[in-house]
Parts: sequence; structure tokens; C-alpha cells
Amino acid sequence: MAKLGSESLTDLSAGAVFLATGGGGDPHVAQLIAEQALEIHGPVELLEPEDLADDAYVVALGGVGAPTVSLELLPSMNEAVSALQAFEERVGRKVDAVVSFEIGGGNSLIPIVAAAAMGIPVINGDGMGRALPEAQMMTYPISGVLPTPAVATDYRGVATEFHTTDIMEFEQQIRQCALSSGGMITSAEHPMTGLQLKNSVVPGTITFSIELGRILREYRGNAHRIFEPLSELFAGSIYGDIFHLYTGKVVDSVTRIVGGFDIGEATIAPFDGVGTPLGISIKNEYLVASIGEKTIASVPDLITILDYETSTPINAERLRYGQRVSVFGIGCPKFYRSPRALEFVAPRCFGFDFEYQPIETLNDTCGPL
Amino acid sequence: MRIGIDVGGTHTDAVLLAGDDVISSTKALTTADVTSGILEALEYILTDSGVEPQAIEAVMLGTTQFTNAVVERKQLSEVAAIRIGLPSGDGLPPKIGWPEDISRSLGDHVYMVHGGTLYDGRPVAELDQAEIARVIADIRLKGVDTVAISAAFSPMSPQPELTVAQQLREAISGVKITCSHSIGRLGLLERENAALLNAALLRFSDTVVSAFGDALRQRGFKCRFFVSQNDGTLMDAEFVRQFPALTFSSGPTNSLRGACKLTGLDNAIVVDIGGTTSDIGILQDGFPRESNIVIEVGGVRTNFRMPDILALGLGGGSLVRDEGRSIGPQSVGHKLVTEGIAFGGSTLTATDLLVAAGKLDLGPKYQPVQLSPQLIQNGLATIQETLNQGIEKMLPSSDPLPVVLVGGGAVLVSEEFTAASQMYCPEHSGVANAIGAAIAQIGGETERMVSYQEIPREEAIRQVSQQARETAIAAGADAATIRIADIEETTISYMAEGSTRLRVKAVGDIARQEQAR
Repeated sequence: MAKLGSESLTDLSAGAVFLATGGGGDPHVAQLIAEQALEIHGPVELLEPEDLADDAYVVALGGVGAPTVSLELLPSMNEAVSALQAFEERVGRKVDAVVSFEIGGGNSLIPIVAAAAMGIPVINGDGMGRALPEAQMMTYPISGVLPTPAVATDYRGVATEFHTTDIMEFEQQIRQCALSSGGMITSAEHPMTGLQLKNSVVPGTITFSIELGRILREYRGNAHRIFEPLSELFAGSIYGDIFHLYTGKVVDSVTRIVGGFDIGEATIAPFDGVGTPLGISIKNEYLVASIGEKTIASVPDLITILDYETSTPINAERLRYGQRVSVFGIGCPKFYRSPRALEFVAPRCFGFDFEYQPIETLNDTCGPL
Repeated sequence: MRIGIDVGGTHTDAVLLAGDDVISSTKALTTADVTSGILEALEYILTDSGVEPQAIEAVMLGTTQFTNAVVERKQLSEVAAIRIGLPSGDGLPPKIGWPEDISRSLGDHVYMVHGGTLYDGRPVAELDQAEIARVIADIRLKGVDTVAISAAFSPMSPQPELTVAQQLREAISGVKITCSHSIGRLGLLERENAALLNAALLRFSDTVVSAFGDALRQRGFKCRFFVSQNDGTLMDAEFVRQFPALTFSSGPTNSLRGACKLTGLDNAIVVDIGGTTSDIGILQDGFPRESNIVIEVGGVRTNFRMPDILALGLGGGSLVRDEGRSIGPQSVGHKLVTEGIAFGGSTLTATDLLVAAGKLDLGPKYQPVQLSPQLIQNGLATIQETLNQGIEKMLPSSDPLPVVLVGGGAVLVSEEFTAASQMYCPEHSGVANAIGAAIAQIGGETERMVSYQEIPREEAIRQVSQQARETAIAAGADAATIRIADIEETTISYMAEGSTRLRVKAVGDIARQEQAR
């Protein structure tokens, strides 16, 4: 049986920032908490979805809010476990395993903290294979799992219950709850059976993220150096090919907290200033990359921005004027390319007026520019 | 005329500049008390040039004393850390994730109290006066007189930090305080760490600034003195007393700027070889390329802006082992002059290797060094390979760049690097740091609350940038060389949509007397 110990957390976090496509929050704080939890309670069991009993009872656990808030409003040690306990109290039964909303960012680690404290396994997989800003964009509701009963707790430990079975209404309610509770809450939601989980989860993403983090650590160096090992890793994965979309300097970046999200734009210009800059649209995550009028990658495909020299992924809230960066795009897990999933994650769902086109149809070559 | 001084771990360098010309320079050993080494260096250049102290317009000091204090865990005061943020962050106290030794150096005085601000301006919790009074009483009882205060969202709302600071001042006379909002941006843990390190250095910086000021006055200098900070601009003496942590990493910044000055190159790789390490950095449009990642100082995460430096454990004092196939990272450091074989000691160092190879002539009063040809060949190859790999790692693209060698250990390099398009080892390269300090720039900063609803963002940035330029010129910057170094926006989301704190920093070269006239 696979165990996940604190020695894997650094690689897991690094991979999680890459897959967070700019959002998901800084995992540093979540990592500090997870390290303490694993030290106190020992390693957690990492359960493959197929090893889960069909009638097991699983709940998804994670943070909801604006990533910028997590830089300042620090979670407390027992926030994840108290959300889970409040949920168990509400439904009147024990949870057999927890699963992550999203592998991207700090939310990859929150279920691990709760699982360690409760002595239950965490599922090797998640509900996005990346990070996305809203609840209805997870694979669980898209596959028919109901969002409630759900319970969210805030930084004071105050619990709020949710009852609606309509996912869009649920998203609205939980967002309002986050907004009025300091901008960040921890939610236990989308309870499901083992069978439902197997039919909806993006599998293997925790171990994939650890492997990705290992490559980022071992091949630390500029974008050209890391492209090949990354390319190999993604080629053999549930994701599509990786594309090196752009290299340049951040000449403008602005995000604001609007309606509980970090909303903004970034502009990246070539080092020599000659040529058309790359525009990036942000809503917690990097959603669309375009050069002039031409879109070269869009959600649900992954867009990630790396520090050019070290290939360290940079979150949207840390993107700053003057940084030298490389922009990579990666085909999303196949799940998101079905017409049913695109109803929830296509560019139009984020207010963009164009159809989704897979990244491989928008770019001729994968390789470094 | 102005004087630049660089205090390193091993050497104290000084240069006298008239305009762009180096009139005199010297390299002295750093003394245990630092000041006497500085005075010795000053004495040398004054005598050598025949210039009177009254003729000096400014003295610029670049110093690694504060960085080294943190790295070596010396000269650090015990600091009480007060975080205003409960109930959030319970279980993540100040100093979490710090190496144990430095955490111990600051003592066990961690306090968390209720309060702080949420993103929307509402309080995390109300300040609890009884709780704060208990904390202050405890700090008093322990006799701790230095405090770092942090609070959630303090760059947006500094009031909770200011309130607690005021109460501390009333209760503990002579208390020294660093508030996190004064030294960092968003990111509570990193900002709090920066405030803690800064606070731990406040007593030491008082001593350093006073000793240096006194020494200059006693020697007859009437001019002001400045200290260079990590972004390549200067702080005046009083500012350094409050913000010593801003000198972190000013050494590499100065050596890069010095290399730019000495070669006239705006884009190059600069390899600064000292006694213990070789620091490789990139000059980009005449300025150090900044690091994008979270910077650790002495193992502590901070969010200072610093140059991106690759430090290799290879320098003049590096130990040579395994028949020359291994050099460094251990080094005899400043004991090179007693422990190296060429200096009559018994430790085989990289410098000895160079002497044995006939590449370095220390003069007749030093010992000749006899080594086997195989050892010499291996050793030289190891040095070359280590540096070449480091340079390749730092290259921004596959195109080679010119490489500039500076620092006292530049003699270690005996042939061209394959990663270099051209090699430069300019005259005075041994004192590039001091030259960098002497030409450090004047900064001007302007901060304004703006509403992008009322003024479009581009226009607001243009206006505030213009003010920053004017501030820099007023502070003595040459208008023709001013550029915008940093634009920072902090959205105050609880105020009207688009309310933003906009901060712009403009920097320029020091206007020369001739230009000013």
C-alpha cells in the first residue's frame, strides 16, 4: 500500500504550482501545515481510485476563495480537519477517504492534512487535473455528483451548511460565503460513493505531480533545458503534448480581487522588444494566451508561466513587472474535451467570445522557440 | 570626487573616483572590528592620491556585514515577534520553517494576538487590549528590547501594527521596532521574516553607522555618507539605522554595476571570484538581472528584490583535494594569508595551485610552491570546468555572452570559457565592488492612492512615474539617466472599485558637480 510522507511534499508542491496554471494559491503555507500534520500523525495512505470499494463514502475537501487572500489570511492548523468533522457531524456518518478538488496549488495538500489527522486514506487523483476557479468546473459535478450536503468552515471555525442540489446555485452560495468570511473558506462537499468517484476522478495526479516536481528540481535551469524532460513526462500522461508558447519579459501585470476572484491581465514582451507581445487573461488562473488577435492557447488547456532562468512556476499573484518568463501550454486531460465538459469549462464560460480550439490545432510545433 | 568602499568577508576595498576616472584604489584585509580596516584603506587612498578629505563630496559604503551577521548568526539581537492575526494562522507561528540555529539566535519570544485586517477592510478580530498588555508585560519582564510586529494585510491597513508599536514605545523606553508594513509587500510570512531579520540587526546597525560616521569625522571628512542597498540605490545613514536588512545582497549588485562601469558593457555575464565563492550574475541593460524566486537569506524566506546570483564554492582560498580533481567548497577564507602554502602555511589552496603553475606571482617574499604536473593540470581543469558550467547555467539563451572577470580571485581563470563570446578582465577589476558602490544610484519613490475609475490606469502610472522622477532629481539624480525601476500596485479592494495604492521607484546616476552647475 502506497504511503505519502513529508519527504514527498516539496516535489508535490512544486508540481502542483506548475499544474495550477497561475491559480490555486501559494502552496507554501499549505505545505508547512501538511509537514506538521504528517510529522504528528505519520504518513497517510495514498489510495488508487480502483482500489476503493464501490460503496465507500468519499468527500472532496479544499479551500474556496481568492488566492491573494491566502498570502495574508493564514489558515490555522486544524482548519481542514474541522471542516471534515463538521461535515461528518452534519451527515451523521464517517467518511472513508478524502479527495482533492484540484491538484493545482495548495488545494492538492489540504485533503492530506485532514486525512493524516483522521487516519483515513487520500485518493491519488483530483477533480480537475489542474486548477480552475469555480465549483461547477470540477469533474465530479460534470459527471453527475451532487454538491451537497456540504459544510464550509472559516478562519474562526464558524461552519456554514449548504443544501442546494443545483451546482450553479451552490457555486454562488459558497462564493458568497467565502466573500463574507474573509475571502477564504475550507469546504467539504460533493460527497460520493467509491463507484461515483471512479467514474469522475482525474486519476493518478498526486503521483504525477510528485514526478513533475522532481523533474523541475533535478533539471532546474532555463526553459530550453527543461523542455525535453517535461515533454517526455507529459507525452506518457493523461495530459496532451506540451508546447513552448512564448519567452519574454513581463511588461505589465495587474490583478484585482473582484467578486471573490483575482481578475486581471498580464502582458509579456520579447526580450529585445521587437515583435508582438503575448497577452494573458487571468481569472485566478491563466485562461487565455494570445498574440495580437490570435489565440494560441485557451482554457481548459493548461497555460503555465515559468521563471525563464530557473523554470520555477510563477503564480498569478506573484507575477511582477520586469520578470523574465517562459510560457508553456499543455493539452488538458481528455475528460474536459467532451462536449458535456466544455459546457462548463470552454472559453465562453469565462466571458470570452470564441470557441475552444485544442492547443495542438493552434500551434504548429511543440519545441522551444 | 567621491570614495567607494566595499567591506567583504575577506577584503575591504576602497576607490577614489574623479568623475569616471579611478584616481586611486586599494585592497586591505577586513579587520575584526571592520572600522579600522576601513580607515586603513581610506588612509592609503588619501596618501596615494594626495587628496584632502575636505575635497571628497560623498563616501559610499557597500557592506556585507549585515548579510554575514544573518548567515553566520552573529551580532543578532534577541527579538520578540508579535503577529496580529488570530484566530487565523493558529499553528503557523512566526519563525515557522526557519533553520533552528537562527531561530534560537533571536530567542524564544513568539507572540500571537487577535486582530489584523481582512481583504475587505473589516477586522480579522478586534484588538484585545488586555491580551496586548499581557504580551507587552511579558516582553518587558524578559528584558527584550527589540520587537518585530506583523499583521494580516498590513500593507493595505498598517493601523493595527502602528497601534501595537505605539503601546510598546509607551511601555518600554528605548525599544526598537520594525513594523512589517514598512519593509515588505503582500505575503505575510515572508514580510514578517524580513521584519524579524531587520529587527535583529537594528542594534548592530546602530553600532556600525555610528562607528563609521565617527571614523569619517575624526579623519576630517565633512561630507555625507551613504550605504548601498540591494536594488543598487543609496540610503543615507539614518535610513540604514532603521532598515539594515535592505543592504542584503548589495555586494553582488555593486560588483555587477562596477563591471558595467569598467567595461562599458550593458549585457554580460559577470564572474566575481573572491576568497571563498565565485558569484555569477547577469548584467542586463546595465543592471543586475533580478531573481524571480523567493529569496532565502541565511535559510529564511523573504520577499526582497535581489539580483539573481549563482554562488559556486570556488575561490582563492578553496581547498584542493583528490589530486586536484576536487576544489572547494571548503575554504580557508581570510586565513589564506597564514594557512596557504605560498604564505608559509600547510594547506593546499587554489591560490597555491596558481603559484605552482607559474600563473600567479605573489612576489619574492612568499614561498615557492612545488606540485606535481598532474596535480596542476587536474586542478586548473577543475577550476575551468566548474566556472564554465556555472556560466552555462546562467546564460539566458544558447547565444554566448561576453564574460567579465572581477574580484581578487580573477587570476584563477587561466583560459577562455567555452560559454563566453569574449573575455574581459579590466583594469581595477579587483575593486569592482567598491567602484559599484561609488557609482550607486539615487532613487526617488512616490506613492499615491489612485482610483482607476477617475484616472485611467496608464495615465495614473504616467503621472506617478513623473513625480518619482522629480523626487529622484531633487535627491540628486541626473535627469538624463533616470529610468523607472519598479511599479507596484496594491489593490484596496474594500474601497471603491479600482482603488489602488500605486508605488513607483525611479532611479538615476548621481548628478555630477559639473552638471549641477
